[in-house]
Amino acid sequence: MTLDFLTADAAAKALFVLYFLAILVGGIMAVAAKSLVKAMLGLIKTLFGVSGMYLLMQAPFVALMQLLIYVGAVSVLIFFAIMLTRGEEEGRPAMGKKILAVLAAAAPAARVGGLLLRHAPMPAGTPVEISLQALGQLLLTDYVLAFEAISLVLFVAMAGAVVLGFERRLSK
Amino acid sequence: MSALFGNPLLCYQLAALTLLALGLLGFCLRRTLVGMLISVELMLNGAGLSIVAATQLSPATAENATQAGLGQLGALLIMGLAAAEATLVLAIVLVLAKRFGTSSSDVVAELKG
Repeated sequence: MTLDFLTADAAAKALFVLYFLAILVGGIMAVAAKSLVKAMLGLIKTLFGVSGMYLLMQAPFVALMQLLIYVGAVSVLIFFAIMLTRGEEEGRPAMGKKILAVLAAAAPAARVGGLLLRHAPMPAGTPVEISLQALGQLLLTDYVLAFEAISLVLFVAMAGAVVLGFERRLSK
Repeated sequence: MSALFGNPLLCYQLAALTLLALGLLGFCLRRTLVGMLISVELMLNGAGLSIVAATQLSPATAENATQAGLGQLGALLIMGLAAAEATLVLAIVLVLAKRFGTSSSDVVAELKG
């Protein structure tokens, strides 16, 4: 079997559909699964799909960071939260609540989606990859304030988490 | 379908919108705090995807590296914020689970009038 029909364009489209399906199936699992561990597995599937989309957009650095930070760190944290709260199963939500939830999700999605379909600009050409060196330069020159601010936010969050964890023992 | 594929930016933005809608749906449906956290992560991913798509695929970025880098660095900052947020939520859920014996948002409702 030859793969001559597989041009770059067709391959990109096929990969996009594949990643979109991963996002869709994973997202539905994350929202609808009864057990939280299964929901978490769905979220991880979605994270991989989004990472693949970053790769398709010529942003390999962001794609790898997505895998490192989200799949490597954030999902492990959430697994800890599930384990430490004994991974409670949840019952079925009431019908009225379900309808309200669908409305709450569909209203902004329909509004933004309608705007997108009517006014999305047409991109010119293919995206170019920005070198890691250029990104690092930007981080230490133009966006140095955001870089320092995020380090401060991370420090405060970690310190806050430690304080919250110790609070009970101090009060005894 | 082919018209939809003709505009890659639209495809990526619709994927991001799907993530946002699923996240909102889960945030309203879930009854445990950890389940709500998972939905928030879905929405944050949608935001990152949308930002990167908007800068990587916009016509102006080909000659302007500062602007093109903004999208990728913005997505990176979102990931940092998501990590910080997940840490704090983990600590809060632990304290709540110790105090109330559960992490269900229906039980933890002391402020409800």
